[in-house]
Amino acid sequence: MQIGIVDYGASNIFSVLRAISFLGAEAKIVTNPKGLKSIDKIILPGQGSMGSCINNLKKNDLFESLKKSLSEKPYLGICLGLQVLFSLSEESPKDKGLNIFPEKVERLSKKGNLKIPHMGWNQVEFKKDHFINNDIPNSTNFYFVHSFASKKLNKKNIFSQTKHGEIFNSAVLHENIIGVQFHPEKSGDPGLKFLKNFIDWKI
Amino acid sequence: MSLTARIIPCLDVRGGRVVKGINFENIVDAGDPAEVAKRYDLEGADEICMLDIDASYQERSTTLTTVEAIANQVFIPFTVGGGIKKIQDIEVLLKSGADKVSINTSAILEPELIQHASREFGSQCIVVAIDAKKEGDLWSVFTHGGKNKTLLNAIDWAKKVEDLGAGEILMTSMDKDGTKSGYDNELNQKLASALEIPLIASGGAGTLDHLVDAIKIGEADAVLAASIFHYKEISIERVKEELLKNKISVRSNS
Repeated sequence: MQIGIVDYGASNIFSVLRAISFLGAEAKIVTNPKGLKSIDKIILPGQGSMGSCINNLKKNDLFESLKKSLSEKPYLGICLGLQVLFSLSEESPKDKGLNIFPEKVERLSKKGNLKIPHMGWNQVEFKKDHFINNDIPNSTNFYFVHSFASKKLNKKNIFSQTKHGEIFNSAVLHENIIGVQFHPEKSGDPGLKFLKNFIDWKI
Repeated sequence: MSLTARIIPCLDVRGGRVVKGINFENIVDAGDPAEVAKRYDLEGADEICMLDIDASYQERSTTLTTVEAIANQVFIPFTVGGGIKKIQDIEVLLKSGADKVSINTSAILEPELIQHASREFGSQCIVVAIDAKKEGDLWSVFTHGGKNKTLLNAIDWAKKVEDLGAGEILMTSMDKDGTKSGYDNELNQKLASALEIPLIASGGAGTLDHLVDAIKIGEADAVLAASIFHYKEISIERVKEELLKNKISVRSNS
């Protein structure tokens, strides 16, 4: 079984690659549509802006083929890899996302002495039991770094929520597709457990 | 449910080994960096910071090997600082496994570096480190490991680098560093209220109360310490217990 980590030229792919290899799974960096076909599961990591993510995917011919693969293979989107699943983001309103979720990604509200970006460890409250959160207790802390997030979403797609001044959706779910706003590859043991569950997940 | 205060142990590394010394003198070997980092991770560190204390050109490849060795073992955020002068330095460190880089002297010599770096790699991975000393009512910024005084004052300089795109400020008080008399809470509190980005307090940790005060009074988002953890005077677990007792939320060590 091969886990493909999509490299579109602008993300922290190596930390994800290191974590997957540490867990003993075979990881491969994917840079084109052909590579995407050859793998069994997809991880899309990401840091930066939604617009640059979408444009880089398009530039590398990956946008359409990724959209197609989403109907076939288990997918884990991390940070921007979650956001790109939405129809659009306030961060770059002109760039259309993969539209798995018709809602939009919004800027986190700045209230009082709340710091934006939301950076650090925060609690994840799971709203569903799923193979992927097996053995991970509710309220476990995961590591976050982001300024935008999903706030409105159909209840059936909300996997977990987290509070930073306001409540946002820290993980989303649709059939074989999972998106997490936190960074499991940087969240110590619970993060590694989460990634291990994704590796072992059978659909 | 809220963001937790971060505890960040810092490793001083030279020639591929963790070293500890007092004011850069009497330096003794304190172990293999990856092993020390792993120990801190198991004890519940929220991030790891590594400072390359003689980041000369010759040492650079050793540093990258060390960064890689830590990154292969430790899956929490990992910051590397020391000797970063240009965009390419940041690029190779990130590729070797650093999640963030800490820039000090070069930010002052060439402020555009902060702007370019945050555009290229994102603000989240650019930490600006500031060394400052109180002079009258203000705090003067120093470069080159505290050797050279600048005309900058710490609060204005921190605001400036925030505008240039820095994602965090790592504030070291030169008055407090190595004294074990507590963090400079006055400086940190002024900075925290002036800044929108997170503040990491550094310099002066000696007791549990100091760490609590850095967060309660100094309003820091994170506390960095080296010697109290190296010498095993205080464990990270003990710090977290004490913070919890003071109603400061921390990440439980699950």
